[in-house]
Amino acid sequence: MNPKYFYALIITAAIFATAFYVASRFNQSRIADIRATEEAISIDILSLETQFELLGNLDCQAITDNPVLSDELNSLASRLSVAEQNLGANNAEVISLKKQYSLLEIKDYILMREISQKCIKLKPVYILYFYSNSGDCADCNKMGDVLTYLRATYPGLRVYSFDYHLDLSALRTLVTLRKIDANKGLPAFVVNNKAPVYGFKTLQEMRKLIPELKTLATSTPATQ
Amino acid sequence: MDIGAIGVYLSLFLALYFEVFLLISFFEKKPGIKTAARPARYPEVAVLVPCWNKAPTLGPTIESLLALDYPKEKLSIVIIDDGSTDNTYEEALHFTHHPQVTVFQKQNEGSKYSALNFGLARTQGELVGCLDADSFVAPDALLEIVKHFETDAETMAVAPAMKVNRPRNVLELMQAVEYTFGIFYKKMFDNLGAISVLPGPFSFYRRSLFDRIGGFRKAYHTEDMEMAFRMQSHGLKIANVHTALVYTNVPSSLGALVRQRTRWSRGFLENSRDYKHMYFNPKYGNFGLLVLPFGLSAFILALYVAGFTLYNAASLVLNKIFDLYATGVPLHMPASYQIEWFYINTDMMLFVTTAVMLFTLVAIAIGSRIAGTRLGLKHFASYFMLFGLVAPLWLARATWDTLLSRERGWLV
Repeated sequence: MNPKYFYALIITAAIFATAFYVASRFNQSRIADIRATEEAISIDILSLETQFELLGNLDCQAITDNPVLSDELNSLASRLSVAEQNLGANNAEVISLKKQYSLLEIKDYILMREISQKCIKLKPVYILYFYSNSGDCADCNKMGDVLTYLRATYPGLRVYSFDYHLDLSALRTLVTLRKIDANKGLPAFVVNNKAPVYGFKTLQEMRKLIPELKTLATSTPATQ
Repeated sequence: MDIGAIGVYLSLFLALYFEVFLLISFFEKKPGIKTAARPARYPEVAVLVPCWNKAPTLGPTIESLLALDYPKEKLSIVIIDDGSTDNTYEEALHFTHHPQVTVFQKQNEGSKYSALNFGLARTQGELVGCLDADSFVAPDALLEIVKHFETDAETMAVAPAMKVNRPRNVLELMQAVEYTFGIFYKKMFDNLGAISVLPGPFSFYRRSLFDRIGGFRKAYHTEDMEMAFRMQSHGLKIANVHTALVYTNVPSSLGALVRQRTRWSRGFLENSRDYKHMYFNPKYGNFGLLVLPFGLSAFILALYVAGFTLYNAASLVLNKIFDLYATGVPLHMPASYQIEWFYINTDMMLFVTTAVMLFTLVAIAIGSRIAGTRLGLKHFASYFMLFGLVAPLWLARATWDTLLSRERGWLV
């Protein structure tokens, strides 16, 4: 047989291998980027915790004016979502990053609760959102769209999203403390310290559920 | 990776393999350049011009033949009015004062092959060519063809390099790029001894060929393709003379284009079935091992990729509409994140698709250089934005017609 058939096969395979390698390098860079962001957030949280412990009496105005952590966590959530799409939800590195992200969320949540107790004027609005991408939550994507929209509209709203099935003991403790029961149907969420709410809610229903949203500044004029 | 994407990767792999193979062939044997040499002998040549309702373009077609740089006494032009219902015949009669021109009129038999055989039986030329009545030849095109027959006694038929005549609208511009790509791959098929079609515009045959394998056949209205298949099955050599330039009018409307390409695509499927014994058969060289299998694979995979893309796009849009309705979230989301490299698609498919497009561009550039075609940004924009959208239309229709054995007639 003409050797050209073989040479063409080698060259084509080499081009495919190069494409695979380049795509993998980009994905590795993404992982490194996420890890660096997580480390930065971790340092920020530690710094805030230390500041909190050192002062005992916080400069509440400074915290109100500086919602850095919220922005960083939102950005991290978005990046993790992209990594999950590219590498798959079962990828070991993605799972590891998600665990670290969940821990950071829990720490931020605890810290914000403590700060809000000290700073009476500071009234954070937060949502603990429990989703699943294991095939047992048909409405989670839609619920995610609603929360993404709310988060983008109200930068001060803190949405902590957790993969309900993530194997993380701190998450299991949070689930137990907030009395989340997946048997009642995911998605589930907790607004501030209220009782858990189950099932999909439209944007309008969410606005009714969270009247505190009116106290938050919007990134653009609220449309509804 | 989802199963649907595997089919797309397979398509990209085959497309890339095919392009790489042709480029290797190019670097192995680059096309020669045109010389001023004249043939040692001027054989008798007959050019058949079958026409059906071609009154508007017949005149310029015949004038381009009359302007050929070839001894007049050696060239006969045979116009066959194939039962036109317009004034094609009257238009043809305008040329009867040229001693080279003969005009015949016959009843239409539903396909071009009968007009060609009609003309074939009424000419004596040692070389017989045909020219569609909407195509125009360069003055030296016949000399180039004759020179090739003279230098290669084994060649039994030759195909020219076809260019689009004065492309104007986006569909014509798209086809101009496609024909330029065609100039490249037909030359490479020549290198491989695997030319699969002898197009209506100015393909030439030795008369002895018809004595050996017979005249034209109906062949699902693709007598030019069937003739090439038949010649390949008999081991008869077909060459591509890239220095013989022919300019052809192409369909300017989507409907006409789809009808023309449906006929070609249907012809490929049906002729492939009739000559299926050649597939993967080393006896037929690169024609059986490469051109036929890749042609059929490309046909099937192009349909698959189009279906896959359409399905995904439709799902995306419908899901989005449904989600917007169900969630009450406005279409416009407040801008929350800056554009960063992180969010740019760097999927493997993107890089492979880019590679395929780059190789296609290289092939088009080579085709452009071979035929001296000048292509601009609007040509490439038309090709890359449109071809992938419109080609599935005729592929799907041809498949449907083949499955239903539906007779559509000549169509254009």
